[in-house]
Amino acid sequence: MTRILCVAEKPSISKAVATHLSGGQFRTSPTRNTYIKNYEFDFNFGPPWGSCSVTMTAVSGHLTHAEFPPEFSKWDWPPPDRLFHAPVLTKVADQSKDIAKNIEDKAKYARALFIWTDCDREGEHIGGEIRDAALKGNPRIEIKRARFSNVERSHILTAAQRLVDLDDKQVDAVSARTELDLRIGAAFTRFLTKTLRNLGGPLSELIISYGSCQFPTLGFVVDRYFRVKNFVPETFWAIKVVHEREGIKVNFNWSRHRLFDRMSVIILYERCLEAKKAKVASSREKPTKKWKPLPLTTVEFQKMATRFLRMTGQEAMTVAEKLYNGGFISYPRTETDRFDKAMNLRALVQKQTQDNRQDHPWGWGEFAQSLDDGAFQQPRQGRHDDKAHPPIHPIIYAAKSAFSNDNEKKVYELVVRRFLACCSEDAKGVATDIEILYGDETFVAHGVIVLERNFLDVYPYEKWTGTAMLPKFTVGEQFEPTEAMIAEGKTSPPGYLTEADLIALMDANGIGTDATMAQHIEKIQERQYVTTVERSGRAADQDADDDAGDPPPARGGRGGRGGRGSRGRGRGGRGGGSGGQGGGVKEFIPTSLGVALIEGFDRMHFDTSLGKPFLRKEMELQMRAICEGTSSKREFLEQNVAKFRNVYDQSNHEIHILKAVSCPKYVSTIPNPLPLCLFLFPPPIDRSL
Amino acid sequence: MEVAVQLQMAMRSQSIPVPSLSWLRELVQSRRPQPLAPLMATARTRLLASDLTTEGLLDDEYVAAHTLATATAGGGRNNNFTVEVKEMKLRQDVVVQVLDVENVTRSRWEQVEELEAIKRGEQTKGREMIRLPVGDGDDELGDDAATQRLSTQGDAAAAVAATATPKNATHKLVLQDSEGRKVYALELQRIERIAVGKLNIGEKILLKTGTTVARGVILLEPAHCLMLGGKVEAWHRTWLDGRLAGLREGVGADRQQ
Repeated sequence: MTRILCVAEKPSISKAVATHLSGGQFRTSPTRNTYIKNYEFDFNFGPPWGSCSVTMTAVSGHLTHAEFPPEFSKWDWPPPDRLFHAPVLTKVADQSKDIAKNIEDKAKYARALFIWTDCDREGEHIGGEIRDAALKGNPRIEIKRARFSNVERSHILTAAQRLVDLDDKQVDAVSARTELDLRIGAAFTRFLTKTLRNLGGPLSELIISYGSCQFPTLGFVVDRYFRVKNFVPETFWAIKVVHEREGIKVNFNWSRHRLFDRMSVIILYERCLEAKKAKVASSREKPTKKWKPLPLTTVEFQKMATRFLRMTGQEAMTVAEKLYNGGFISYPRTETDRFDKAMNLRALVQKQTQDNRQDHPWGWGEFAQSLDDGAFQQPRQGRHDDKAHPPIHPIIYAAKSAFSNDNEKKVYELVVRRFLACCSEDAKGVATDIEILYGDETFVAHGVIVLERNFLDVYPYEKWTGTAMLPKFTVGEQFEPTEAMIAEGKTSPPGYLTEADLIALMDANGIGTDATMAQHIEKIQERQYVTTVERSGRAADQDADDDAGDPPPARGGRGGRGGRGSRGRGRGGRGGGSGGQGGGVKEFIPTSLGVALIEGFDRMHFDTSLGKPFLRKEMELQMRAICEGTSSKREFLEQNVAKFRNVYDQSNHEIHILKAVSCPKYVSTIPNPLPLCLFLFPPPIDRSL
Repeated sequence: MEVAVQLQMAMRSQSIPVPSLSWLRELVQSRRPQPLAPLMATARTRLLASDLTTEGLLDDEYVAAHTLATATAGGGRNNNFTVEVKEMKLRQDVVVQVLDVENVTRSRWEQVEELEAIKRGEQTKGREMIRLPVGDGDDELGDDAATQRLSTQGDAAAAVAATATPKNATHKLVLQDSEGRKVYALELQRIERIAVGKLNIGEKILLKTGTTVARGVILLEPAHCLMLGGKVEAWHRTWLDGRLAGLREGVGADRQQ
């Protein structure tokens, strides 16, 4: 029988695929890597392969990495700029040697290699690495690739019979980026470290690393820091109208919201008073909804974990990986926010009904039961599909006792509750809008009555509280408002970035992937570029009343509403998300070193600074061009190496700027306890310089 | 009949300011003989691009009948146009030009942040940072080219602001009549044309009879407000270039009349 070698991107996928192809009948044998097993079974791939004897195994992500030859490994010599043109070797990483050997050995006896990596760019590149390993064992082996977007059975079976070729363009795109990241990362890291160490003080011991994702991430933190620091509050005025009817005080909000001009408000206010009576212009009652959440992606999961579970994105991912390896939840690295139609979600819901019968239940058993009894609804379909993994969802029901610590419990609970919420129904209510004309001015009263909580019953992470029932107002009727006054308030600064904000910014600007964002965030902390502090009850939060309805953009409370998958919400959607965000949320503040790095580069006369997301974004676009065949790896490297080489030369030329902002007088407190840092901070820097 | 006189007659029948005969004569003489229609178009364009207070630009009779003073005259010449009068209506049409416009629904700081970002070549769309097309970053560019680039940025800024002006925006303007008198105006009802970056400085507006004046401030409504267009190029440039500095200066100090 023809022998075939199948290799997946990770053990979970190889096991799932082997299970489907073999119908559950496979032999398992260990490899020298503890996590990786070989599965053997027979399967008919159809023509031209026919019935085959299959060995299915996996890698564990990338097999190789890029590095410089040993003569370039010393930091003293040659100078860092030589790294832009030094040779680059692709080597199997030490921890992957056994895995590569396994593939090489198995390839010896196989007619063909079928690659089962994720169908995205990284997956294609890993496929290329697997191919290289297999060719080493058997230069004549045929190479094919399976196209699949989830591990649902029929989908896998179809994929197995419709094999395609590996896409070298995608392989090239990734290896081009890998090489570039190595060159610029190493060159700038050595350059910065050597230069700044010479300044002495606390800098003499540090490694000042540069990474094409790291710096823009730091840039976001520094940018927000200055927006907070430089903020100047301004006074605004508004007209407030209150009318008491049937014992209810109805607040009417001015359609102009607020004006930053006192004279204008006084004139308009006087005209209201002059008119004496207000007239009801319209009164509408309409059904409204608060939408249930979208299926859970990695980015959303991380944002939620940082906001509601008091964990960092990285911690949350580590826990999620563990739960995944334990079979509790599905693969936690996914960009997909829509469930495949073929997935049997009801069966997954049904598993959660067991909670009813526990001594120490989580509390969602009855809810799951009601879904199973008929309230089940297909989840909303987001617009993202990574073609590799379904949204994060629970695989089995597990009692509390199944987990060894609180973080695991919290993450499991979040995943289950989110999933049940997705399979439930939108919360429903009725909204009333009453519009009055008072003088020349329009005022609106808005009321919401929540009728059915639905998904909210199982999902404490969102809140929707109704207002009091509005009394009856008839169109055309006139009344003299009980109260009309001018209210004065002040604008308040935005908050420092929370991790959820930072993830959202990275996501929107293409910095890192869902799999790496948390790492970049951790890296800039490890490098002492930023530090976190617990969000305090800032004044801005306390006098929220002044600023109601229009907080500065992206303030923590609303931070979670990423661009990703959030579709326009009706009024009813307001006010959600901000619940549950008490203390314990961490905010990111740059250290003086972090500020110096970004300021230093911003002040050099670049077309665009290394601290901005643009270079990375352009890199991403060029990678896409390689994938589309309009550019090539060579072209990509030539252009980008030249570009970064220029940046390097200019940095070298203007290094006095960086030195000036980094001199120990300023950067004297690393690692700095925060209050000290704020005291010793350089005077506010005029960013327009 | 003399061409200039014909022109003036024709222009009288339109809702634009009527130029003086001497100004029209000069215009006619400076050009090749041509039919009335294109000549009038030229006159109109030039007029709208001029400072209304220029000596000898407008017809005396027209000026006399279209100033704030005459339109509000009741007792003494200036008495009705003060903060003491709660409300009155203009008794005649008045032609004015725009000297300043600001959106009072936005804080100055918010606008400062936006303009500074644009100056750095950035713009934000939701959470996404967008790089604005800014020259080539060539430092060899001469001074002229450099200012050119800055101006383009100013324009870009303006365009951004204009497209983003929401329905409930409220603008405060400084207007000037042909006698040089300056007044504040407030957008009582939204007028699409009025927006920072859309409305030109030096643009002409015809305030129609019946326009409300409250506490010496003109209240603008579409029904009483005819936007005539035009722009005084030099003023507009200065305004754009000085906007950021002006906003910065104004931040902190609460806006007062």
